[in-house]
Amino acid sequence: MRIEIVVNGDRYVKEVMADLSLLDFLREVLGLTGTKWGCLTGDCGACTVLVDGEPVVSCLQLLRQVEGRDVTTIEGVEHSGELDEVQAAFVANGGAQCGFCTPGMIMSTEALLRANRSPSESQIREALSGNLCRCTGYSKIIDAVLQAAAERA
Amino acid sequence: MAPSCCQVRVGPDLNGAAEVGSDRWDGRAMPASQVDEFQVIGKRVAKLDAPAKVTGRTVYADDLSMAGLLEGAILRSPHAHARIRSIDVSAAEQLPGVRAVIYAGNVTQRPFGYSHDNLPLKRDKVRFIGDEVAAVAAIDEETAKAALSMIKVDYEVLPAVFDPFEALEETAPVIHDERPDIVGNLSMRWDYDAGDVDEAATRAAVVVEGDYSSPQAAPVPIETHVIVASFDPDGHLTVWSPVHMVFMYRKELADCLGLDWRHITVIQPSVGGSFGGKIDIDSHDFITVLLARHSGRPVRLALSREEEFTGTRTRQPIHFHLRTGADAEGNLLFRDAEVVSDNGAYNAWGSHAMLVAMNTVTSMYRVPNSRVRCSVAYTNKNYGGSVRGFGNPQATFAVEQQMEELADALGMDPMDLRLRNANQSGDVTPQGLEITSCGLSDCLRIVREQSGWDQRRGTMRGRHRGLGAAAFIHVGGGARIYASDGCGAVVKVDDSGEVTLITGASELGQGSETVLAMIVAEEMGIPIDSVRVVNSNTDVKPWDVGVHASRTTFVAGNAARMAAAAARDKLLETASELLETPAGELRVRDGVVEVAADPSRRIELGRVARRRLLREGGGVVMATAFYDPPTHNQDKDYRGNISAAYGFGAHVAEVEVDPGTGMVRLINLWTAHDVGRAINPMSCEGQIEGGAAMGIGLALSEELVIFDGEIVAPNLHDYGMPTAVDVPRTVVNLVETVDPLGPFGAKGVGEAALIPVPAAVANAVADATGVRPREYPMRPWKVKAWIDAGESSHASRRAAEPADKGGGDNG
Amino acid sequence: MAEVFAAGSIEEVVAFLAGHRGVSLPIAGGTDVMVDKRNGRVHPEWLVDLTSLEALAGIEFREGGKVVRIGSMTRIRSLELDPVLGRRAAALVEAARLLGSVQIRTMATVGGNLCHGTPSAEMPPPLLVHDADCEVAGPSGRRVMPLVDLFAGPGRTVLEPDELLVALELRLPDSGVGSCYLRQTVRWSMDLAGVGVAAAVEVDGSTVTKARVALGAVAPVPLLVAEAANALVGTELDAGAAAEAGRRAAAACSPITDARGTESYRRQVVAVLVERAARIAWLRATGSWPAGVPAPANGVLPSEVR
Repeated sequence: MRIEIVVNGDRYVKEVMADLSLLDFLREVLGLTGTKWGCLTGDCGACTVLVDGEPVVSCLQLLRQVEGRDVTTIEGVEHSGELDEVQAAFVANGGAQCGFCTPGMIMSTEALLRANRSPSESQIREALSGNLCRCTGYSKIIDAVLQAAAERA
Repeated sequence: MAPSCCQVRVGPDLNGAAEVGSDRWDGRAMPASQVDEFQVIGKRVAKLDAPAKVTGRTVYADDLSMAGLLEGAILRSPHAHARIRSIDVSAAEQLPGVRAVIYAGNVTQRPFGYSHDNLPLKRDKVRFIGDEVAAVAAIDEETAKAALSMIKVDYEVLPAVFDPFEALEETAPVIHDERPDIVGNLSMRWDYDAGDVDEAATRAAVVVEGDYSSPQAAPVPIETHVIVASFDPDGHLTVWSPVHMVFMYRKELADCLGLDWRHITVIQPSVGGSFGGKIDIDSHDFITVLLARHSGRPVRLALSREEEFTGTRTRQPIHFHLRTGADAEGNLLFRDAEVVSDNGAYNAWGSHAMLVAMNTVTSMYRVPNSRVRCSVAYTNKNYGGSVRGFGNPQATFAVEQQMEELADALGMDPMDLRLRNANQSGDVTPQGLEITSCGLSDCLRIVREQSGWDQRRGTMRGRHRGLGAAAFIHVGGGARIYASDGCGAVVKVDDSGEVTLITGASELGQGSETVLAMIVAEEMGIPIDSVRVVNSNTDVKPWDVGVHASRTTFVAGNAARMAAAAARDKLLETASELLETPAGELRVRDGVVEVAADPSRRIELGRVARRRLLREGGGVVMATAFYDPPTHNQDKDYRGNISAAYGFGAHVAEVEVDPGTGMVRLINLWTAHDVGRAINPMSCEGQIEGGAAMGIGLALSEELVIFDGEIVAPNLHDYGMPTAVDVPRTVVNLVETVDPLGPFGAKGVGEAALIPVPAAVANAVADATGVRPREYPMRPWKVKAWIDAGESSHASRRAAEPADKGGGDNG
Repeated sequence: MAEVFAAGSIEEVVAFLAGHRGVSLPIAGGTDVMVDKRNGRVHPEWLVDLTSLEALAGIEFREGGKVVRIGSMTRIRSLELDPVLGRRAAALVEAARLLGSVQIRTMATVGGNLCHGTPSAEMPPPLLVHDADCEVAGPSGRRVMPLVDLFAGPGRTVLEPDELLVALELRLPDSGVGSCYLRQTVRWSMDLAGVGVAAAVEVDGSTVTKARVALGAVAPVPLLVAEAANALVGTELDAGAAAEAGRRAAAACSPITDARGTESYRRQVVAVLVERAARIAWLRATGSWPAGVPAPANGVLPSEVR
């Protein structure tokens, strides 16, 4: 099947299997390995990417269903090599330890901050509850999100 | 938002601890008077690898690509206990795209594991659901899975045993009947005696007694195990593996598979978390290498989440029957523990979880008499590994609940009871643990104060709220379980002036790379950004036992500091010539050597390195060190100081229990940890907050539920790992006792924070409800059943009072 | 590997399903189908992609707001964020926000949640207490049936392989109505209900005139328990009436013992949660509950605000 899709602003036209997931397309076809997988059942959120600005778990997203739409992955977050506010806040606050949940966590944060410019701590916890982290206990991630929100405000 | 973290410095009086260490240490420990003069130590330094991680650039094992890479897959046993009559792989071998099919009948393998009771591919028997039977390498995952389905295994199903108490009965099916040296299903005993428990019991005013159990739990790194193996045409093997203990791994690969370990390189890609799950070598590691060998191609084996639950190491359930006795004043007299550890089908290092659990029974608080009788049982279940905390959360769940039960029975405040019996600097416990730096009492006082303990405990039952505390002791200066507990380090300074630390230690995400770089920067007087850390390749890095027992900061930190000091001294030697000033009158700050008395006379460190190199008879600046802490392997009676320092801490948990559903909400968690010194406070907090969350999971939700030997739902939502909604903002207090032997006074903190959480939460549930939790996780239906049954503590008093069920607990 | 058929209309979907009975499977948000497919629970040769059918998506208020039509492809996230539903069908929005994660809710659809037939699914109890009908398209045209008749057993509905759930219709009385969804879980988010309970009441003055009580996860199919509802009608929803509704609901269900709780525990929890959900529904119906504020998942307010 031929698919046309925009990922991080780049238009790709590729021949793929019809039932490919968005995750496999990103990692295996485009080589964008910044998006991680941890379960393939939608429970861990490590594979979170944005489709038209909304967060989805790419492991369960049929590629065919996002044809023609705008996909943003972790590789598309920085601006010409500079970390964006969310990424910088994760670095400064110790929001990444092993880093495996980090790309998904950052994508969920980007989606949250688009919808809610100044989320409360409990709103952040709810918004990130689909992104499991085993290292941080979430505190430093929440600090990072609060800081990024403050910087964008 | 209120600040949730603070640092407390205890000292500078080390209460005699300095003497304990001074005869062993070469004097490099920084005097306490200099604590505020650090340039790097104590700063909140961002992790060096964080920018790569937040941009998705970090390369984990599954992100590796190489030409001709095949995908591996494992066929696992569907039976908990069965004899393998035959295996037929012929159909699978014929499938196009399949490049290797292996099973016990066509590979060379020897038994591996601590008791050499395991084979990578099972030959005669399978012993748990998930045991490895055969494996395939194919051009893609679909082909590999299709090939697995074509392998025919003829099993004779045998009776199985899942309960460790039943496993130890004479009539139980014998799991390792191939080994005449193993009696029944008893894989190990850990028996220990100090003093006379029976005599002490006759003097006790109060004795509490009870059962405390823990479940099979899992480490659950978000990255599953992914291993890549490749043989060069000349036969040299390279394995990319997230294992912690790379050097032992290399040796065991060679021993088990008959390879020459001089021709094996182990490379650690970035590790997506481990928590002990990736510490050791497992069947899947050998299988990946065997597949690469049989296919002649590089092979990747990526375990699915389901396999991660069913086929990798777990936290072993441990069942404690514990008695604790005290005199009327609240002085602890004895502990008496009968323990059964349910270690599953094979003995990995996890069988040694009792080593640490025993420390808590014998040495948490001052306990003059103690007795441990422990059987480690084989059962037909996935087997135990060395998961973060290593036996200690299980032991602390028993020991620290009994502290509060005992206090209530004595009519004392539990904090007072703890403080009365707290370990102190200079103590040598009956088991031989030498307590040097010790901030236990301070930790207890801090969480008592912050939680409003004195005003609130015991007053909130009407609102179904409660407070509970727990403290812990854990190794914090290595743990000698091997002939060496050492780590090597190399520091080199190249012509640019950049400093490279090549360390034996491994970064798993915990931040050791950054902490070690900070230690080098501090010791050499250079900025943190001029240090690079190399730590991932056995061809390059010097030997290290590996990451375990919260040892990296302490052991690798000391090694790095020693090498850095030696490199600095070489630079100063050259600088002394260049500045025509004796080395002792020079100092290094921010990468510049200056004359202390006249800082205008200065030379940049990179220039010193170049001047040393680019001259007749010049040389490179390179220094090596190996640090092995001054500790002892325990003797046959389990006595000996296995760690050069011990970490302490105390937590208070506040819960709200819904008596209608049994759902428990953790409202607050206050923590105070004696970390020796916080090299990087942000990193210490991260370890404590993350450990606490893991402890919250253990306490309330995490469990591999097993029916008839089968993990019922091996997925992330049924397992119950906490989300951001399940974890409150943990309050962290870093108590700095400045350990006499730790690098700049630091002690290990990696495992600490999860240890006391199940006990503290259980004590809080008891305070909220008046019933005594007997096991964790405290899933809602258990809590509801306990409330309905109304079971409390079992306390007996000497003054002719019989054991009273329900009389002793919390008033 | 499956092929994907991208349908242009409901009729095309039905025709394709009819022509590929047994080998085709509709895929909506994919959050169940993709998991089932990967686990080998389903082996479709064809996935029939519904995402391009705009006719299936959307929340539409009709008859002056007395009726709401919810297209089967409406995302759970859209339900969660709908302010009108938040006021007038609180149970539905409460259930929506407890379902999975933001990512899952962004993908998953109300029709998918219903048609997957999971006994513990979040959507059935609140839709049942809001008296939902469902509209189904098949080879012989459209039919409408009460939602309660859709469920046939664990993982099964009464739909034929060539039938498609098109929309749900809920009646929303103007005022005096309140509803609530509560559940028991192990974790406080990202979990499946061990017990799920919804209650709705219509109140005239202070007397309950109509009531519905529905249960999830405690029987092979979601249940609408008339006996429990009847215990509330004609009362002022005092503690005794709520407790009686809880007892009747507990008696009416048939839970199993599994890894997520025992049979007797689940019955106890049904009683407790029905009692609480009925009380909260009544508070909402009588304007005593702050508008737009969801109830805690187990219905217990944190004690400092109680």
